[in-house]
Amino acid sequence: MGFPTEPDVIDTDVAVIGSGGAGLMCVLHVHAADPRLSVALVSKGAVGRSGCTRMVQGGYNAVLDPSDSIDAHFRDTLDGGKYLNDQELAWTLVNDAPRVINELETRVGCFFDRGPDGRINQKAFAGQSFDRTVHRGDLTGIEIMGRLRDQMFRVGPRELEDVRALDLVRDKDGELAGLTALDWRTGRAMLIRARVIVVATGGAATMWKIAAPAREKTGDGVAMCYRAGLPLRDMEMLQFHPTGLLAGASRLTGAVLEEGLRGAGARLLNADGERYMSRYDARRMERSTRDVVARASYTEIMSGRGTRLGGVHIDISHLGAEEVERRFPGMVARTRQVGQDLATGPVEVSPTAHFHMGGVIIDRDCRTEMAGLLVAGEDAGGTHGANRLGGNGVAESTVYGARAGDQVAREAAGRPLRDPDPEEVAASIHQAYAPLHRESGPLPFPLTTELKELMWARCGVVRDRDGLLAARTALDRLSEQVAAVCAPGPAAANYTWQEALDLVNQITVAQLVVESALTREESRGAHYRSDFPERRDDAWLRYVIVRRASDGRPDLSTRPVETTRLVPEPEETAP
Amino acid sequence: MSEPLRVRVARSDPAARTDFEVAWTPPMTVLDVLLAIQRDHDPSLGFRFSCRVAMCGTCTLRVNGSSVLACQTKVEPGRLRIDPMAGFPIVRDLIVDVGAFWREWAAVTPYLVPRDGLDEPAVIPPDTPERRRIDPSLDCITCGACFSSCAIADDRRDFIGPAALNRAMVLIADSRDAGGEERLDVVTRAQGVDRCHYVYGCTHACPKGLDPAGAIRALRRWRTHGLPD
Repeated sequence: MGFPTEPDVIDTDVAVIGSGGAGLMCVLHVHAADPRLSVALVSKGAVGRSGCTRMVQGGYNAVLDPSDSIDAHFRDTLDGGKYLNDQELAWTLVNDAPRVINELETRVGCFFDRGPDGRINQKAFAGQSFDRTVHRGDLTGIEIMGRLRDQMFRVGPRELEDVRALDLVRDKDGELAGLTALDWRTGRAMLIRARVIVVATGGAATMWKIAAPAREKTGDGVAMCYRAGLPLRDMEMLQFHPTGLLAGASRLTGAVLEEGLRGAGARLLNADGERYMSRYDARRMERSTRDVVARASYTEIMSGRGTRLGGVHIDISHLGAEEVERRFPGMVARTRQVGQDLATGPVEVSPTAHFHMGGVIIDRDCRTEMAGLLVAGEDAGGTHGANRLGGNGVAESTVYGARAGDQVAREAAGRPLRDPDPEEVAASIHQAYAPLHRESGPLPFPLTTELKELMWARCGVVRDRDGLLAARTALDRLSEQVAAVCAPGPAAANYTWQEALDLVNQITVAQLVVESALTREESRGAHYRSDFPERRDDAWLRYVIVRRASDGRPDLSTRPVETTRLVPEPEETAP
Repeated sequence: MSEPLRVRVARSDPAARTDFEVAWTPPMTVLDVLLAIQRDHDPSLGFRFSCRVAMCGTCTLRVNGSSVLACQTKVEPGRLRIDPMAGFPIVRDLIVDVGAFWREWAAVTPYLVPRDGLDEPAVIPPDTPERRRIDPSLDCITCGACFSSCAIADDRRDFIGPAALNRAMVLIADSRDAGGEERLDVVTRAQGVDRCHYVYGCTHACPKGLDPAGAIRALRRWRTHGLPD
């Protein structure tokens, strides 16, 4: 059976992969710096409406108040990240954030909530020494992404919507030349030649049984960069948000109830009605960082003090129903959707896989080891270290998306369009179409379920060597099975095929997470090893690097964190 | 096992299966039903979604005739009929090409045209008439449920449509924006507010509780009485 595998060729100065906060900010900045540059925006889902910036609830950390300071935001970010952060990336984040907030308000057209004095209101978020989170109600992402999407009508990039990026491809000299892609709506293959490519697809947290992100987030960018030989860091650092909604078999399970609830005084209770955070972080209680709260909840659940659905309770009803409805309308609606009610009583929640701190190694201008390739947002690693603060995520994607755009404008003119190696192109496309050509084989759906169960049980909130070794074996088997997967139906708009392609990337990233988790024999931030429960600054103020060896297996190494700006206090060594 | 759901799904291939029995496992949404069909009965079923929490606005379809978000529509035991949104060309099964929606959106200059001197976030208290007018009309997720349920937009395809008019109203009312006069001119031309017959399909359908019909009324008022201060 013949499918159209001869690719349509598109030439562009710049290809931006991903249309979340990082991707669209990048497009804006490319246009602002040099409107003559042609931009192709490659988006697996609907432009500006897929991925996770859209799903941001709580808000955006930026220093705006004169009594706050850049140093304080920086210190909070490093404290939260347990000093594993790339300090230059974190420093750049906190320095640029106020300027980008200003740009979002005065140029992009966002309008954030005001205080009674008419100035931008900043609310409390966990793990922060100052109330600095800018927001629009409790659904901030809609405002930011809605307005960025509007800007695309002014800027006019070539929108390649419903186009999945497959692989980065090089020319005969090994120079980056473009990418292969697949228009899943038509089922046609594409070859996009570009002077500069920006990877901004978002993370991979969908591969855990209970998970928060949008469906697109299957590690495409990180997997693509890994296949291209780029070094990745901190891949073991996957954040579990402490309060994911539990809704049985419904897809709603795992959806986040926002951080601001804990900031506003919500209590966490186990099945015995005990406010258990007093045993884990008596000083900060529920306002402790995400890693600490998630692990506390997980421990309660695993120790038999969990609720009927296997969670704990979050309760903010003591503020009064009217107040909760006024301040958290989106969250109240979300709980009512599953037959519970945040405004009037406790709601069952569980830690939920949420954000990948790990990713491609970049510098402060988003440059990678490969000339012409930039990475921005969740696909990059280092900014957040071992744990991300709530409100630093959308800050990262917009700050670094903007910086990537500025850098593109500096680089594009100096890089010619190149001819991709036809063999690389053919191999990439052949591999992508294989599930469609197969007459028989497993469907991807049960394999996805198996991957999610496996990662939850063996590489979740609490890990140990035996579990990780079991995960390694199981992932090897899964990757053999996915190589034989079959996607019946036509090439056009075939979701089974798309799920199969997602799964290939998810398994690749899962393997890197497991291998990195095995390497880090200590506990730090989101990575907790029950067989190595201590944080070991003497031995492990180092980050784990993984890259693809010539035999195709992951090659692991470690490197000391460069404490260029701030050295951790000796007494602060809790995991 | 509880009573199953009997589901009929519109398919673009006339030979494709349309009727399914799905186990009811509350809490269950229409999106859960579609995922169950795809997983357990027919992997070729085409439908679209992303966030599953009413933020992306990409899973819009019709359930028993009403335009809704699949992820926000609870199902109860019984019969269910699922069709694609109305007024758009079908790509496959429940997936439609929403290009027309975005052409209308683009027609109202949907982005802020910053007024001169807007270099810092404007100081605007939340209780001003401006914000009281705008705030309840934000949070549009461009899902197209209003378009799909609009008797006029569905017909001749030259009506700017409820979502785009709501966006225009928000920007015209925004004191930070300098494009109001021009925008008001666009939305009050032949394809604009006068095509609306106030059936209120849009306002009833909006999954975010916005009132596009109210926005259209405001635009008509401003045409006659001038722009708001």
